[in-house]
Amino acid sequence: MPAERLDPELPGPFAVGRYAKELRTYLRGRAKVLLLGEVVNLRRARANTYFELRDAEGAVPCAIWNEQLDRLELDGSLADGVEVVAGGGLDYYPGSATSSPSFHFRVTHLRLAGEGDLLAELQQRRRRLEADGLFQPQKQLARPALPKTIGVVTARGSAACRDLLAGLERRGWRGTIVWADAPVQDRRAAPRIAAALRALAEQERVEVAVVCRGGGSLADLWAFCDESLCRTVALLRLPVISAIGHESDRTLLDDVAAVSCSTPTHAAEELVGIDVRAAHAELRVWSSSVGRSARVAIRTRGQRLAELARGPGRAIRAERARLHQLLREVRASSARGLATRRELAARHALVVARKGRATQAALEDADLGLRRLAGAIAGRSRGAMGSEAERLEGFELAVRGHDPQRTLERGYALVEDDAGEPITSARVARERRSLRVRFADDAVRARIEEGTDE
Amino acid sequence: MSDETNGERTYESAVARLEEIIARLDSGEAELRETLALCAEAKELIVFCKNELEAVSGALTELELDELVRSLEDPAD
Repeated sequence: MPAERLDPELPGPFAVGRYAKELRTYLRGRAKVLLLGEVVNLRRARANTYFELRDAEGAVPCAIWNEQLDRLELDGSLADGVEVVAGGGLDYYPGSATSSPSFHFRVTHLRLAGEGDLLAELQQRRRRLEADGLFQPQKQLARPALPKTIGVVTARGSAACRDLLAGLERRGWRGTIVWADAPVQDRRAAPRIAAALRALAEQERVEVAVVCRGGGSLADLWAFCDESLCRTVALLRLPVISAIGHESDRTLLDDVAAVSCSTPTHAAEELVGIDVRAAHAELRVWSSSVGRSARVAIRTRGQRLAELARGPGRAIRAERARLHQLLREVRASSARGLATRRELAARHALVVARKGRATQAALEDADLGLRRLAGAIAGRSRGAMGSEAERLEGFELAVRGHDPQRTLERGYALVEDDAGEPITSARVARERRSLRVRFADDAVRARIEEGTDE
Repeated sequence: MSDETNGERTYESAVARLEEIIARLDSGEAELRETLALCAEAKELIVFCKNELEAVSGALTELELDELVRSLEDPAD
């Protein structure tokens, strides 16, 4: 009695055989469904054929009566690794006094999965991976434009493999390829491809990897839709390029990869971002362009400096001469003008006096006019002087902008001969032998030592 | 952020800088001292790029991943 008091407050105890039969009744009462999955561990027993239906997330044990299976005429196409659609429901074998019980999904309908089934399943996997944000990580990895070592996961010797090599050769790329041989179609393919990519990612020298396979139906390419393979790829730090020759349906690997290419040729271009041959040529052009820039910079600046050195002095002299001439003209014309007017006025006064009808007012008028005239003439010459001074000031400003002194202060030097004439070519310098180098603060003497430089 | 800031020069970053330098030289705005400094930098970049190109212009080298993995696991090999 004390032992029975330890039991929890539950109904029973019931005889287990009866409970097992109740369990079978309960499970058989559950809804009948269609399942999609890969056939694993297919084995034929005396009465039943057993297998598991499996995908990346789980599995269910299945059983089908041999008699029923044979009527389906699957003609041996049922094998491990095949995607199937199985219809049926839960079942339970309650066992007996001498045999063990077992649980399975009793299959009453079985067919190979079609494109439609695979597409629908692919869509669901795609949604799950996208929801987990797994399409982005690969695309954010930096890919070198000019990798030295690339990893290639492929079935060696395939047409796709040869096309990839040809594409790399067209790029002029002859670096290092690390080959990772892997099956690219069947149940074992996905884990092997994932393992190969993980191993490549561990090789520090491998800068980018490509998974390469020729085209096929979605069923042929189903390995590349494997969810755990794609989750692995998404989280690798090695950029992975998918080069699965799909015609219409994208695989899940295409979605998670850094880039997806529909041809091996395209993949070669993505692997090696620059055309090595063209880059060689471009570099040669740049090299000579830079060399020319250096030479041209020095030569044109030298010429310009020489022009500037001659230019300002000449401009100032010419301007000064022009100004003097103007001043002389202004002075002469005002003097001439005054003398003429005065003479005329005096003659008028004489006439007026001689006629005896001269009045003080007339004289005063004449005098006033004379004064006004003189004032106007003086004003004009002042105006002329003023505007010329402004002009000169403008010239000085302009010239100051080109002042060789300021150029010298920026670090240039001016080479002159003993007479102070600028030397603008190596040829002239050689002839002069001795010359002066003018810096901003002072000039130094210099001698040409021919033959030391070239 | 450029590759330069990570302290690692890449072919792309070197080419980008070269293009910048050549544009500046072509503009004719650089003074003599800057011009000569840019030319020196450009020559150094060209040597770097040339070496990068040379590294992938010889003969194709083919390695097997399995062998690499084995040699990694057993360095005495």
